[in-house]
Amino acid sequence: MLLLDYQNVLIQSVLTERFSGAPPAHIDQTVSDFDGVTFHISTPETKTQILVSLQIRCFKELVQYGAEDVLQREYGQYVVPPETGYDFSVLIDLENLPADKDERDELIKKISLLKRNAMAAPFEHAYAEYYKLKEAASKYTTEEAPQGVREGGEVMAIHYRDEEAIYVKASHDRVTVIFSTIFREETDRVFGKVFIQEFVDARRRAIQNAPQVLFRNDPPLELQGVPGVATASDGEVGYVTFVLFPRHLTPQRMPDVISHIQTFRDYFHYHIKASKAYIHSRMRRRTADFLQVLRRARPENEEKERKTASGRTFRVQGA
Amino acid sequence: MSQSLRPYLQCVRSSVTAALCLSNFASQTSERHNVPEIEAQTSPEVLLTPLVIARNENEKVLIEPSVNSVRISIKIKQADEIENILVHKFTRFLTQRAEAFFILRRKPIKVSPTRSRLGYDISFLITNFHTEEMLKHKLVDFIIQFMEEVDKEISEMKLFLNARARFVAESFLTPVSLRKLPRRYDAKRFSSLIKGKRTQLVEDCNGARPLFKHFINIQDTNI
Repeated sequence: MLLLDYQNVLIQSVLTERFSGAPPAHIDQTVSDFDGVTFHISTPETKTQILVSLQIRCFKELVQYGAEDVLQREYGQYVVPPETGYDFSVLIDLENLPADKDERDELIKKISLLKRNAMAAPFEHAYAEYYKLKEAASKYTTEEAPQGVREGGEVMAIHYRDEEAIYVKASHDRVTVIFSTIFREETDRVFGKVFIQEFVDARRRAIQNAPQVLFRNDPPLELQGVPGVATASDGEVGYVTFVLFPRHLTPQRMPDVISHIQTFRDYFHYHIKASKAYIHSRMRRRTADFLQVLRRARPENEEKERKTASGRTFRVQGA
Repeated sequence: MSQSLRPYLQCVRSSVTAALCLSNFASQTSERHNVPEIEAQTSPEVLLTPLVIARNENEKVLIEPSVNSVRISIKIKQADEIENILVHKFTRFLTQRAEAFFILRRKPIKVSPTRSRLGYDISFLITNFHTEEMLKHKLVDFIIQFMEEVDKEISEMKLFLNARARFVAESFLTPVSLRKLPRRYDAKRFSSLIKGKRTQLVEDCNGARPLFKHFINIQDTNI
């Protein structure tokens, strides 16, 4: 598994099982996802009505950028008032499922993408803003464009983890997505640097039309004046900037690009951890080799007196 | 083995062999004690002159002999930040298992006040009890093999890390960059990507631009 899935696999499997026509059962399950997101799958009233609730750290911010509209559009008829302690809920009635198998699968897929859809709001907002600005900018040449058009939209901040955030900003010719990320220890920082360098170089080397990736330890210029941007100078915080160019910003590519870019932070850290684990197992193996060499330094044990099963011994004559 | 490594290891081998001439020696300062004199440092007359063998400023070996013990400290080559971290992790991994290694010191020797023994990464302490129990030439073999393999291991790990990082970055960026997004990438396509055979992928990106494809191939050979 190289790339991370966009959907939550546990929700998917629970719903697939329920939808398959198995006898309705009582469910009460809390499911965790990346970035401290929690889901709650339960059957509060009857066994045939499954309530799926989502709790996400930055829901207030997401609502600001139009999350309600996006979720309403995706889940429409299934939306119910949120369960207490959660931010958003959908209710599925097992007696009222779509008849067609494909439609049911589609519904499962949609519900397991709950987190992705909630997080997608600011990105979709940025896409919409980009289309608007592009339209506006096409009327002017670069020099005479009014201030608002040239500079692009406001920076949307999503504080999706305790100390990490995503910043999205649209301009007339690009959308910039900035991830701030924390490296807890020195090893992570060094490994992260190696990895990010390859992200930066990939565009030059292999994939010419990849989004541009930039990395720096101090906040990029786009984030000037944005409140709450960490400016730690000890190299713990890193800023990874993705610049999405018009080729990535076509409406038909939007859903895939949004899903994919959301997984960046988790993908990045997952592979840092995986490399650490591999190196660890490698060192373990190498240490065993060294021990083997050292063991050779010990002279062979002198032959002990050997006994038969009944306890008798043989003695070499004349020894 | 490179040109300068062989004489370096040869020199370490003969120096360590010469230094490993140990005998049982009871402590002169406290009765009924028998301690490694090189660690105790209580009577100067039983300590011998320490010796540094350096291949260059980043790779050297310090041999401190005494009447009943020898301390051997190794400075492992660290060219950059990554190697620094890897060496640190590896030596820590080994020293945590010092019990199993008998002759491995739990900590590398301290930095001396004159800073003349700055930055040794790992130390071994061989006492007369070790040489009595184990074969001396095999102990020397172990030290030499350790020095040989540790460098190899560190550079292999570094290469692995770079290769993995490249692979990971390209696999993440590929789905965003392709015009048409295939549902799933099979491993074969990715392995062709990492081997540098990118023509398949380039074809995917721009079907009808042979000139561009040619350009990519030229770039590949340059790398």
